Amino acid sequence: MAKLNPVAIAAVSEMKPGRYPEMDGYDLYIEVIRQFLAEWSLKPTDIQGLLACPSGMAGGGSNDIFVHEQLYEEMGIKPLFADTMNAGGSTYGLMVQRAVLAIQQGKVDSVLCVGAGKFPKVSTGGAESMARMVSHEIYEFPYGTFIPALYAQVATRHMHEYGTTVEQLAEVCVSSREWALLNPDASMYGSEALSVEKVRQSRPIASPFNLYDCSIPLEGGAAFLVCSEAFAKRINQQPAYVLGMGEFHNHRNIHQAASLTDIGCSKSGQQAYAMAGLSPSDIDFAEIYDAFSINPLVFMEELGLCPQGKGGEFFQSGAAKPGGDFPVNTFGGLLSFGHTGDASGMSMIVEGIRQIMGIAGERQLDKANAGIVHSYGGMMSEHSTLILGRSA
Amino acid sequence: MNDLTTGETAPPEKPQPRITKCAAPYWQHAKDEKLVLPYCGECEASFYYPRLWCPTCFNQDISWKQLSGKGKVYSYSVIYQSPLASYQGDVPYVLAIIELDEGPRMMANVLNCDVDTVSVDMAVEVLFEARGDMKIPQFQPAK
Repeated sequence: MAKLNPVAIAAVSEMKPGRYPEMDGYDLYIEVIRQFLAEWSLKPTDIQGLLACPSGMAGGGSNDIFVHEQLYEEMGIKPLFADTMNAGGSTYGLMVQRAVLAIQQGKVDSVLCVGAGKFPKVSTGGAESMARMVSHEIYEFPYGTFIPALYAQVATRHMHEYGTTVEQLAEVCVSSREWALLNPDASMYGSEALSVEKVRQSRPIASPFNLYDCSIPLEGGAAFLVCSEAFAKRINQQPAYVLGMGEFHNHRNIHQAASLTDIGCSKSGQQAYAMAGLSPSDIDFAEIYDAFSINPLVFMEELGLCPQGKGGEFFQSGAAKPGGDFPVNTFGGLLSFGHTGDASGMSMIVEGIRQIMGIAGERQLDKANAGIVHSYGGMMSEHSTLILGRSA
Repeated sequence: MNDLTTGETAPPEKPQPRITKCAAPYWQHAKDEKLVLPYCGECEASFYYPRLWCPTCFNQDISWKQLSGKGKVYSYSVIYQSPLASYQGDVPYVLAIIELDEGPRMMANVLNCDVDTVSVDMAVEVLFEARGDMKIPQFQPAK
């Protein structure tokens, strides 16, 4: 395949995750874009393409399936490339991939990828509407499905096949909390460190998960600008190059996955490595969508970053923690940074970009030449893997 | 709904599945307490859930075949808090993926046992639970 023109992410901004009762999903969108433009001294005319995602999904009754139309009109631009797209948590990874293709085709030189999310309180029927949304209406939901219990199927099976323990799952949460304590934007910044004992003593939700095995439901949003190299360099001398990307769409409903320990991530990962011409040993760090403690453990294995079945041992070794050999989820993960509903798939990409740009503050890694960012949608149903790097 | 004699509020009904056209025979047999799944003669295999073609070879000539109703737990979770009001009274309850002896996997609850006794590979057998005027397949430890 002919070498394609380099594409890089030049600018990035994320709201601090929190509760924003005064703002609906659309208000959050506009605030995210305002912050993004102000932070990077950009104008709407710097945005030639626009990809957005419905923000009201988690709240049920979404009325913003055309949100990109409202956004470009309100910004005052007429893009040559725009869409509202949705692939759950993998939406934003796939936005990068769609933007790269559009830029390499020469359609546009810049695409703003933007997301905002409200997260309904679990106690106000939110959990039921979300369970209804991510489990099969006829063949799963009538059995009393619950999002943690659907993910738990993967955890229970991993424990059965490889002897992974609940203590090893807890190590994932402990590691993410250590990173969050270094990130002023994380919802758990300034809180106490976690321990395996604290995770195990938190109340049971859906075995093997206790409360601290679950991410923290919040609200927020983020935006970043994917650009041709020349356009990127006008904004930022050290943009984050998109070196590799891959996607794979495996199943919709968790009971239909042919395997719960080879769930589709390896396929998107292999594509990304092949495109980048890199192997797992070339990667310095990983940012992985972690709705629950089991996710990073499984995806580390599927991405070839630790041996199959050894994800538990990897996290137990402390390698993923600050100062460790292979940092994972350096922003605190959704487990300790916060899960911003429909925008949650943004946070790990934002952090990957910041680490590559070298703007991650106190948690900036010494070695961040190449990082892998994995996100997925549904019940680990569809996968996006990105490899970001400092040079094309 | 308020019970006028006691003044107590009855728990809401558990969800009743919507019957799609291609799955009508599945639900009709379930009503007779038989686990009958679509069968592909080309693959010589049953599949779940009902759909218009075989998900393996795409053959559209599908028949229906009764299964043994035996299987084992492929994976599971014990749910300690339920988002469904109709399931609140059941906590803790088991949400499982069952692998049927004939191959297909399906989601169900594992009933009639202490939740702490459920494990991966545990042998289970089908039973049927009324949902309105329908019945849905469920599982319990094999006798």
